[in-house]
Amino acid sequence: MQNRLLASIASLAIASIALAQGSLKIVSSLPRTGSANAQTTSMVNGIKMAIDEVGGKVDGMAIEYEDMDDASPQRGNWDPAVEAQNANKALADEKVIGYIGTYNSGAAKISMPVLNKAGLVMISPGNTYPGLTKPGTGEANEPRIYRPSGKINYFRVVPTDDLQGTVAADWTKEMGCKTVYLLDDRELYGKGIADVFEKHAKEIGLKVLGREGIDSKASNYKALANKIKAAKPDLVYYGGTTQTNAGQIAKDLRSVGVEAKFMVPDGCFEKAFIEAAGAANLNGKTFVTFGGLPADQLTGRGAEFRKAYMAKYNTDPEAYALYGYECGRVLLDAIKRAKTKDRAAILAAVAATKDFDGALGTWSFDANGDTTSKIMSGQTVENGDFKFVKVLGK
Amino acid sequence: MHILHHLAAAVPLALAASTDAPEAASWVDPLLQQLVTGLSNGMIIALIAIGYTMVYGIIELINFAHGDLCTLGAFLALTIAGALGVEAWGGLGGASGVVILLLASAVFCAGLNWTIDYVVYRPLRNAPKLTLLVSAIGCSFILVNVALFWGGLPMGVFGGGVAAAAPKDFPGLVSDDNLLPAAWHVTFTASDLLVVSVTLPLMVALTVLVRYTKLGKAMRAVAQNPTAASLMGIDVDRVIGSTFLIGGALGGFASVIYALYNNTISFQMGYRTGMDAFTAAVLGGIGSMPGAVVGGLVIGLVRALSDGYLEARWTNSVVFGILILTLVFRPSGLLGAKLRDKV
Amino acid sequence: MLLLAAAVVLGIIDGPLKLGLVDPMRGVLIFALLGLGLNIVTGFTGLLHLGMAAFMAIGAYAFAISTCDIYPFQLGFWPALGVTAVAGALAGFLLGAPTLGLRGDYLAIVTLGFGEIAQDVLKNLDAITKGTQGINPLPPPSLPLFGEFGSSPAPWYWLFLAITVLAVFACRNLERSRTGRAWLAVREDELAASCMGIAPIPVKMYAFATGAALAAIAGGMWASLYASTGEPGNYDFQISILALCIVIVGGMGSINGVLVGALAMIGVANIALPKLASWLQQKGVVNASNVLGSPNNWKYLVFGLVLVVMMRVRPDGLLPARLERRKAGGSA
Repeated sequence: MQNRLLASIASLAIASIALAQGSLKIVSSLPRTGSANAQTTSMVNGIKMAIDEVGGKVDGMAIEYEDMDDASPQRGNWDPAVEAQNANKALADEKVIGYIGTYNSGAAKISMPVLNKAGLVMISPGNTYPGLTKPGTGEANEPRIYRPSGKINYFRVVPTDDLQGTVAADWTKEMGCKTVYLLDDRELYGKGIADVFEKHAKEIGLKVLGREGIDSKASNYKALANKIKAAKPDLVYYGGTTQTNAGQIAKDLRSVGVEAKFMVPDGCFEKAFIEAAGAANLNGKTFVTFGGLPADQLTGRGAEFRKAYMAKYNTDPEAYALYGYECGRVLLDAIKRAKTKDRAAILAAVAATKDFDGALGTWSFDANGDTTSKIMSGQTVENGDFKFVKVLGK
Repeated sequence: MHILHHLAAAVPLALAASTDAPEAASWVDPLLQQLVTGLSNGMIIALIAIGYTMVYGIIELINFAHGDLCTLGAFLALTIAGALGVEAWGGLGGASGVVILLLASAVFCAGLNWTIDYVVYRPLRNAPKLTLLVSAIGCSFILVNVALFWGGLPMGVFGGGVAAAAPKDFPGLVSDDNLLPAAWHVTFTASDLLVVSVTLPLMVALTVLVRYTKLGKAMRAVAQNPTAASLMGIDVDRVIGSTFLIGGALGGFASVIYALYNNTISFQMGYRTGMDAFTAAVLGGIGSMPGAVVGGLVIGLVRALSDGYLEARWTNSVVFGILILTLVFRPSGLLGAKLRDKV
Repeated sequence: MLLLAAAVVLGIIDGPLKLGLVDPMRGVLIFALLGLGLNIVTGFTGLLHLGMAAFMAIGAYAFAISTCDIYPFQLGFWPALGVTAVAGALAGFLLGAPTLGLRGDYLAIVTLGFGEIAQDVLKNLDAITKGTQGINPLPPPSLPLFGEFGSSPAPWYWLFLAITVLAVFACRNLERSRTGRAWLAVREDELAASCMGIAPIPVKMYAFATGAALAAIAGGMWASLYASTGEPGNYDFQISILALCIVIVGGMGSINGVLVGALAMIGVANIALPKLASWLQQKGVVNASNVLGSPNNWKYLVFGLVLVVMMRVRPDGLLPARLERRKAGGSA
């Protein structure tokens, strides 16, 4: 920590000369093609708002922003080739001093080592897979493999799934459920969080009646729902996102007549999920966890963000808009503190972020690059809209 | 058709068993339920598979765009449902709403399919087969994008145009209440009934068309040998166009049934559905219409049973494994004609 | 030859001129190799193959298992690539053996089935394949002239170019060899070929296995480039479709055609479209609130239109094989 501060001060001294007129560039790499578009549009809006808030400049240097797409038409989802290209493109452009990305944890695995070797700071508004930053939570060689240079360049403003999955299981037990049936979409995020849920559920005495990995492209899950109905669980947990068909699962559970409650993680915390599932299928029986607070519960700076977003875009911000905004703000704040265009200094300044006056409250980056903010919330669905229930964890 | 006959005989027996002997019922009920689910899904696949097999039979093209055509049919149905406010019509009104959607979608898909043939495939009649295939792939991509844009319409049913790419909820015009008495322990809903009551007559009508009408005869002639058929005075292009028209209409019907059964549509829904339907067509013997039906039912059943009794994560492999095994032992598919080498 | 010269020139001038093209060109080369593999199966031998992605996946995972430090093998780049090729060929033999007796489109769907089954196997057997994590990290290649590869795209480019040149060389030799002629004979008329004494099944197996080996090498290159196999979901049907488009758009059976096809297809999808999108964004034409306003949402349409138009305008491909042979003076 001290070394980083010293580095910042040193570069401050040297770089006050380097503070030329010129512009700096922030890039984001998010899946803009395909079904994640709605979520990432709100994140991009959040980033733009953060930049607009400071008037598009920091200390006389103009801030440019480029919204890069890491998805490709043939995949309809994030594409490793495109993500790698984005990372290299960002590195090659000298104006780029920060990389906001990615949304999918699988995509982050591609660009993290590349950016790490070159020392460009990377802040994610959406990766929640714990192995990216926390040793011992993923594979044996994670996160060392993402830091080939030995130093940390990757940060995230969202709490990780090892927290979210755990509090989800706790909440399930609190609701009085005794048996659960687990589903996951067999992807990095969904399977990861379902694994965490399963592990903790067993620890606290919930009985896991079954665990199935689904095909996220199937047209319906009625046969699977028939099976679940026969097992009669108190709650069905699906580790996945709206894009991996969470809505259809909810629908088919209800149409087949499964009475159990349904719980999903924050990959489903968006209006598109309610639309996809049909409000009638969710009302009163569905619960969503989220690593943060929903828009209407925000206070202070968060509430201001929400008001400004509504004024500008005529709609409530989605869950992740806030994280996009926060990433933008952290980066801009770091530029201001570093007072220089130098990538290494800005990286150091980001790492030194302490007691940041964020939209989610005050938080810092810890030694792994994770946020110290551990606020989790639980929502339910009522009258076709999300309704905040309570803060989870603590 | 024979299989259905046997099943129709077996179901009441099994149901009787389930009501009489509660101990035996414990495995019978879930099985019956999965069979019902499997058959309903299978019929939808079968209907789409017929579209694939018809086009293949006549010009040897794997019409990759067919699944995405059905996607557009479903989007049209949703648009009309939203515009007319069909959801608010109750009872008989709901039924007539369904009929309107079925007809509208069928007409639309028929016309669209015919147009695609006219614009894209007709100029390539003499081109290599694979050129045609790549064109079909191109059409598939174009249709997917059109569906993406369509989903961005600022209409209530499309979520106000905010999330163009997200899956869309289709109004539940057909109820999910069990039509059977509770004592039978099996759920057969109005959606299942809809699937059966639309697909069966359509298949019968199609069989009649192909076997007994002049057009059907012309289609069979062109499928067998286009040159000879044209020498016999058959307008080959017109017949091919009609095939696309009919295949498209079937696809249109299938898309509405699909939408009502699954209650969801999305711009990428053609992917899995199309793949299943194409697999069904091949499984049954490509070019054979009864084959497509049998193939569809088999795939629907295999999926349901695999999800129910094996693990859902292996279901795709099971489906293709069965396909490969079948083809190894019956190289022309279940009902396919043995292809003779033309010397 | 011309293409090789152009590629070499590009590699030399890209750095100083800051074209930024060498980076995506590495992807083009990987798909060129995949295309060459498919070209042998579909182009030369006439077998429609819709499951190239499966063999690419096998190659990627074979490469990863051979090099990653969580397994005991830990081979170098070239030995690992060799293992990859062998694994691909073996898979091609094993999967081809029971199925190559099938006709045309039945075989096509069986190969499609391989692709789907491979996906499931890779996702589900996560004890070996690490499921959706993919196997990572993989050490970068270390070559005598360049040392260990860093983040600069240039050494990768030269390495991949070298592999591509070797592959093209091998394909050309195969094309002109007895085996190659047998492949063409089987494609043109299987019955006549068997009357001439060519046993179709072994010939097809050879083609299948060779195509699989090339696809596997492409997979190994991919894994090496991204230092990870990535998710099994990366090797899906879309990749097989892309390979097919490359071969057909480029010119079925034509090696140069495949190279040009790879350039065209991947160039459009990964170079031209993103550049266009970011240019439009800079001009402020983008309007995020309307689905029509974002260039990203037009990608499918443009890709599809390119395919349809290409097939209409040049149904035999950009560089058809027949044209090539005519240029070369007539001998096949």
